[in-house]
Amino acid sequence: MTFGPAMDREAEFRRLYEAHRAAVHAYFTGRTADRQSAADLTQDVFLRAWQRLDTLTDLPDDRQRAWIFTVARNLSVDAHRHQRTQAGTEQALARERAEAPRPASAAVIAAERVAVAGEAIARLPEQQRVTLAMATAGQLTSAEIAAALGVPAGTVRYRLSLARRAVAAALDRYDEPREDQ
Amino acid sequence: MSLDDDLAAWAATVRLPDAEADAMFQRIVRAPVTAAPSPSSPSAAPARLDPSWWRHFSAGFAARMVASNRPVRVAA
Repeated sequence: MTFGPAMDREAEFRRLYEAHRAAVHAYFTGRTADRQSAADLTQDVFLRAWQRLDTLTDLPDDRQRAWIFTVARNLSVDAHRHQRTQAGTEQALARERAEAPRPASAAVIAAERVAVAGEAIARLPEQQRVTLAMATAGQLTSAEIAAALGVPAGTVRYRLSLARRAVAAALDRYDEPREDQ
Repeated sequence: MSLDDDLAAWAATVRLPDAEADAMFQRIVRAPVTAAPSPSSPSAAPARLDPSWWRHFSAGFAARMVASNRPVRVAA
């Protein structure tokens, strides 16, 4: 497809960007466990989409998503190496934070539960973390995640189940001492 | 709080805020398009040989073929 005025091109890209940015960012959040890296990589993906918009707009929606996630997976390979080193450090820090004494205000407890969930998610095996991030932050269905990652939907549901169980267990451990008090 | 509530609250903390997403969009669309330019763009047209090239080539080729079939004159 070719574009006439520049605004048509920009409007078409806006549609593509809004349709997929949350899912792509959630994917990178899962891959890198780092918000800034996820934002940088998301921008890289959409920069490539912007450069190849003429080709992309000729594709149906599902193939657009497949194209975008192929680029995302390729880009994350390099980021992944960096993340492995960083994840070890963050997990060590997360353990320290989890062991710190907890104040008991309701708002603080709610914030701490989110932190505990986040730390549990950071400790998940990568495939489970990516799947959970895409389902929660990206708000994708199992079928959409399966198509984006190139795995069966049953595998996605299994990974989600394991991930949710691990996070629930971490939250249960967080709740236990409070019930004793 | 249910597990879904906790996960939704976590998702809200990691999700790209709209303002940040919009700033990212603006950075991207300001980037020049350097790859896969539109075929309608004159600068994107693939380099083609001038049509007269084929006429010259065909004439030259034919002349060489004819010349190569002439009997060779043996020098005295």
